[in-house]
Amino acid sequence: MWNYIVRRLLYNIPVYLGIILILMALLRFGAADPAYTFLGKNADPGDLEKIRHQLGLDKPFFVQYVQFLWEVLTLNFEQESWGRPGRTVGEMLSTAYIPTLLITVPGLMITATISICVGLISAFNRGRLADRTLMVLAVVGMSVSFLVYIIVGQYYGAFQLKEWVGTEIFAIEGFDLEENGFIAGWLTYCALPVIISVIVAMGYDTRFYRAVMVEESSKDYMVTAKAKGAGRRKVMFVHMLKNAMIPIITRVMTTLPFLIVGSVLLEYYFNIPGMGNRLLGAIFDKDFPVIQAFTAIFAVVFILSNILTDVLYALVDPRVRLQ
Amino acid sequence: MWKPQRSIVVRALALSTALSLAPALTAAPTTDPGPGGKDLKVIQLPLRSDAPKTIDPGRGSTTYDNRACSMVYDTLLQYSYLQRDPFVLEPALLTKMPICAEDGVTWTFQLKKGIVFQDNDCFPGGKGRELVAEDVFYSWKRQADDATKAKSWWLYKDTIVGFDAYRDAQNAAAKAGGKFDYDVPVEGMKVIDDHNFQIVLTEPVYRFIWVLAMFQTSVVPREAVEHYGNRFSRNPVGTGPYMLDEWTDLGMSFVRNPTYREEFFPTNLQEGDDAIVAESSKGQRLPIIDRVEYTFYKKDQPMWLRFEEGTLGYTQVPAENYETAFNRRTKKLNSAYKRRGIVAADVPLLDFIFRQFNMQDELVGGYTPEKVALRRAIILATDFDEFNSSFYNDKVIVYDGMIPPGLDGHPNNEEHRAGPEYRGKNIALAKEYLAKAGYPNGEGLPKIDYYVANSANSPEQADLTARQLGEIGIELNVRMMDFSSLIEACDNKKAQFFSFAWSSDYPDAENNLALFYGPNQSPGSNHANYENEEFDRLYEQTRSMEPSAKRTEIYIRMRDMVLDHAAFAGSMARTRSYLIQPWLRNFKPTEQFYNWVKYLDVEESLRE
Repeated sequence: MWNYIVRRLLYNIPVYLGIILILMALLRFGAADPAYTFLGKNADPGDLEKIRHQLGLDKPFFVQYVQFLWEVLTLNFEQESWGRPGRTVGEMLSTAYIPTLLITVPGLMITATISICVGLISAFNRGRLADRTLMVLAVVGMSVSFLVYIIVGQYYGAFQLKEWVGTEIFAIEGFDLEENGFIAGWLTYCALPVIISVIVAMGYDTRFYRAVMVEESSKDYMVTAKAKGAGRRKVMFVHMLKNAMIPIITRVMTTLPFLIVGSVLLEYYFNIPGMGNRLLGAIFDKDFPVIQAFTAIFAVVFILSNILTDVLYALVDPRVRLQ
Repeated sequence: MWKPQRSIVVRALALSTALSLAPALTAAPTTDPGPGGKDLKVIQLPLRSDAPKTIDPGRGSTTYDNRACSMVYDTLLQYSYLQRDPFVLEPALLTKMPICAEDGVTWTFQLKKGIVFQDNDCFPGGKGRELVAEDVFYSWKRQADDATKAKSWWLYKDTIVGFDAYRDAQNAAAKAGGKFDYDVPVEGMKVIDDHNFQIVLTEPVYRFIWVLAMFQTSVVPREAVEHYGNRFSRNPVGTGPYMLDEWTDLGMSFVRNPTYREEFFPTNLQEGDDAIVAESSKGQRLPIIDRVEYTFYKKDQPMWLRFEEGTLGYTQVPAENYETAFNRRTKKLNSAYKRRGIVAADVPLLDFIFRQFNMQDELVGGYTPEKVALRRAIILATDFDEFNSSFYNDKVIVYDGMIPPGLDGHPNNEEHRAGPEYRGKNIALAKEYLAKAGYPNGEGLPKIDYYVANSANSPEQADLTARQLGEIGIELNVRMMDFSSLIEACDNKKAQFFSFAWSSDYPDAENNLALFYGPNQSPGSNHANYENEEFDRLYEQTRSMEPSAKRTEIYIRMRDMVLDHAAFAGSMARTRSYLIQPWLRNFKPTEQFYNWVKYLDVEESLRE
């Protein structure tokens, strides 16, 4: 297995170099000149050149590319952010991933758990009222925009709820895990965004898992299990679920890299100082060092999660061999 | 809502205790912060859309930077808080307004004595020292230093004798491996003694007086810049009313500067100010609030809800909440808000929102009657009133010319009109002009490239423009792009016809007229690439003139010259609506300057 992992890692080096190359080229040749953003409406032609020089944009592209790769290789993210003077890229990113993970990880776990259970129930009751009701709810849930959930959720779940009960259950916005302790802080500031993200993701995931379970339920081993007298619960949670693990792992693992990106909309509306918030700010500011560092990290996580997915396949399904 | 860390609150309380031990600080305090800070006056305010990027006046340029810098730093002059229409300057760090010699270029300044920088580790023993004349020049020289990455050199460019040459020489020396020497004197900057200095301008330029109130010219101590290096952006040390306490991604908080100079609430109340100003505030030592907490709101809904729940002292009214707050027909505040004691205030902005032609473009540019006729057809087919009702809740002022309401030279009649043929919608006349241009009903006219910066509703606005011009047979090729791409296209003179907005940097029409001054052509701010020798001559003449009837008359002539050449289609100026909590006192909203937080007060009995 270790041979396989090392080999996959080596194979991915050119892919990684290509990702960074494309990103840097797109930023430099496909987007507007950041010097204009930097100087604003009173940009002076002479100052534009100076700013390009100070930002290192006048260096040959290859030199910029190698310099950045060296920074990634040495994990040196000490370059000053262009958009937030006085802060390094490392500081910008290191303080942002925790708030994001506090939203996305519980969101993923809750969504996956509930969706798999609902998918199982739905598949087991295929064609019956319970199945049809659950699927109608899933489709309705999918059809409503994420933005609507956020706006309505923030209004009723935070503002109106406070008006009704007279005390703040969920905060309208903000992020503070210190004032009242971690648990209370998380419940106040993170629980509502998590609930919203779960509701939004449930529709998609439930339909997906149902489809997986339906496919499994028609296989011979299910008939055999039932014929041998296995109980309904055992058939569902032991036989069917175990055999459905490959698509479940695929689904969960492909989501994994996106956990660090966070949800831009959720973070914007709920004022959560996470990665999505920061990345979008960096894009608006044309803050190349932050965008590049973020993408470099994201690409690493993406590649690693792909490899990990393969490893997990082998662990849950003995028929899969890593070669 | 962003909340400061507990330790910060504790520090603030400790500070209030310290304040209570410093009776000299407040001449007539409304509350006496006792031990434990029971009576600490705290206020929460919003910062909408974005956050400050820096609290270094040398590097800042945005409204948000301005708001943060204005808390911590002082300028030589400041806007008189209660005086509007017209705005008036008054001394801040100076004892009196600067005196201009008869030559019109030599200005003499006298600093107030005893103004000290906030206590900070950068000073020996952590004790802030007195601000002296050298600090002023040092702060301005930072704008010349490439290492500062300053964005506001344009304020000084070609203005002070020898300053441009100093900039070039010092940056060249730094580039060659030497250093940017702040001790090298500049010919036009003369220190007389610690509290007196002179500036010699390259030519009489009246706008210089406005520059002295801009936050970019705030005074910073050299020790702090050298002590903090790149971190100075986040470690401000000024002489302003507040000190930075905490700055996170969600907000920033400031606490009262215990060594702030002696300044009192103004007594020159204007008409209507009695309803705004708390009786107890009159003549009170500034700042009044002990602690100010800003939250950054990138989205409007959370800001609006925080105001609704009574946390924020005021809010701008987002477009989507306009009809919640106001009756759409009467524009009056809805009774639900009136019952809560909330008051509304409209703030007219010094806006120039317009559609500009590239006067050097082969199709839409040029000065021949046919070319002017084409542009006039476009202008007359454009209905800004429809934009007003569709996108601005009928809250913008549609006007002729480039001079916004409130400034000398603005057409001050009821309809803001400068002439009968300057503005649409007049489809019949537009068609006539289009025929005069050689394109009857648009026949033979190629599609016009219309450049638009991508923002909230700009695609819809571009669609409306296309539909309106389509009525006379003109087709647009709409090109949406981000703002910097638009600027780049304008700088390269590639943008044929484009949507643009200009907010006046200071309340003088000179700032707007400069957009049509020949030497400012792209890549300068004259993106129309407008050329008119007579206009340029008058512009140069008015630059040295103080406000007067004669200057206003010249402004009007210049305005009408550009209107006659139909160099742009316009104009609109937004009015921003504010809602203010009943407990927030002394708030007279403006977006022209931002050092007004020191005047605010809260009436705790109403807040409870």
